[in-house]
Amino acid sequence: MSKALQIALGIITSIGGFLEIGSVVTAAQAGAAFGYQLLWAILLGVLCLIFLVEMSGRLAAVSKHTIVDAMRERFGFPFFSIVLLGIVLVAFLVLVAELGGIGLSLQILTGIGFPWWAIPVSFGVWALMWKGTFSLIENGASLLGLFTIAFVVAAVKLHPDGASTAHGLLPTFPGEDKAKYGFTAVSILGASISPYLMYFYSSGAIEDEWDESYIPINRFIATFGMSFGGLLSMAVLVAAALALQPKGIDVDKFEQAALLMTTALPKWGFYLFGIAMLFACLGAALEISLAIAYFFAQGLGWNWSENLQPSKDARFSFVYTIIIFLAAIPLVMGVDPIKVTLMGMALTAATLPLAIVPFLFLMNDPIYLGEHRNGWISNSVVAIVILISFVLAVVSIPLQVLGS
Amino acid sequence: MKLVRDVLDKQLIDRENCEMGRVSGLIMHVGEKSQPRITHIVIGGETLWMRIHPMLGRISKRLARWWGPKRDGPVRIPWSRVETVGRDIKLDVRARETGAIDWEIWIARHIIEHIPGGGEKGEEEE
Repeated sequence: MSKALQIALGIITSIGGFLEIGSVVTAAQAGAAFGYQLLWAILLGVLCLIFLVEMSGRLAAVSKHTIVDAMRERFGFPFFSIVLLGIVLVAFLVLVAELGGIGLSLQILTGIGFPWWAIPVSFGVWALMWKGTFSLIENGASLLGLFTIAFVVAAVKLHPDGASTAHGLLPTFPGEDKAKYGFTAVSILGASISPYLMYFYSSGAIEDEWDESYIPINRFIATFGMSFGGLLSMAVLVAAALALQPKGIDVDKFEQAALLMTTALPKWGFYLFGIAMLFACLGAALEISLAIAYFFAQGLGWNWSENLQPSKDARFSFVYTIIIFLAAIPLVMGVDPIKVTLMGMALTAATLPLAIVPFLFLMNDPIYLGEHRNGWISNSVVAIVILISFVLAVVSIPLQVLGS
Repeated sequence: MKLVRDVLDKQLIDRENCEMGRVSGLIMHVGEKSQPRITHIVIGGETLWMRIHPMLGRISKRLARWWGPKRDGPVRIPWSRVETVGRDIKLDVRARETGAIDWEIWIARHIIEHIPGGGEKGEEEE
């Protein structure tokens, strides 16, 4: 495959795979409650994500190690086990949210309640993992995820005001409802900076056998793929600000988020929202399930590859099988996926230091990266954004929990 | 070579490039007159959990008695079988003969191969 084609495919899959229930619900809530005021949180999150994804690819291309691989090796099992516990618990919560998102999308499209969909959806996701290859999951799901470009169409059709949109890119303090503002900002940051995306990306680079010649390609894909993906999140926020805020609609339910599409596209916006979210959450559910299985397999030194027959990497396949079916249980019991989503995103932000700080140490280690290790710009950007996310999370999560 | 940095927790690969776990621990012989030397590489949950707390090691040992493949104690591989120490540690052994991938084989046999599409039965025998 030519390098240009690889870059194009990488960018397209990044765009198609960017949105998921977390980024859509948090952006829709932000737009509905605070207008354009929280656009800065998406900008900050995406900026940090560009650096992190580029680093994940660079680590794999230069050292031939995935992040998890290097983390276990460099920091040892006792520290690794703490990271494993924290990251897997949060990723599991996000997986519940994504499976719930598929269920809610099917509820919109068919009228049958989401708890009824929990088992068939989990089975479907598992079957794709069981039979599919890495490129089917990476490219197939992401290409279907391109339906999410419909959010940009909706935002443009609502004619946003350029000056106010630009103003939202600068952080402002809210007049009232400070706790909700902080919590929403944290959830947006958690939804944008998803550690599972880094684990998935670095494992993908190893599955695709990247070497140092991929460093420029990696930089292009990370920068443009994540930037365009971030534009989709911003489009959701802008559409929500224009369609929902004037009517005083808060996004507590999935159907309310669908209204941001129906205002712009009255005839088929509702169904388009359902289809776009179905594919977006499906792609994310596949990526998270794989990321969790990668985490165990790479950390404990088992055989792993999504391209192998399940019996050839039995423990790897066993982990995703168990995880996917466990994630269906809360949904069968009727737990609200939107609440799980918001808590999952906020906890992701709160646990970011656990995932990112050791990663930054690795990225500065000459043993792994030699001359390709991080410069001061990437170190500073990531460290500052992670610190902001962590402080915001520590302050706003208790306030939100007490408030509700 | 720095043992903790270069050996402990490193990926182990057998002569057929099968990933056979990571170095959970090392056994060292300390003689009265001779220099201390590494005699074995240890692989296994018990040793691994012991590194966090001895109680966790004991729990892991008890759990392993109830469920899964049966074996006495963790897997020990003589240091003389180490071929190279680089990105991974390459061993001159066959993983399935050492017991290091007993769990992999047990899960494949008892669970994965019973699910349609999981892989053919008896394929592991080769």
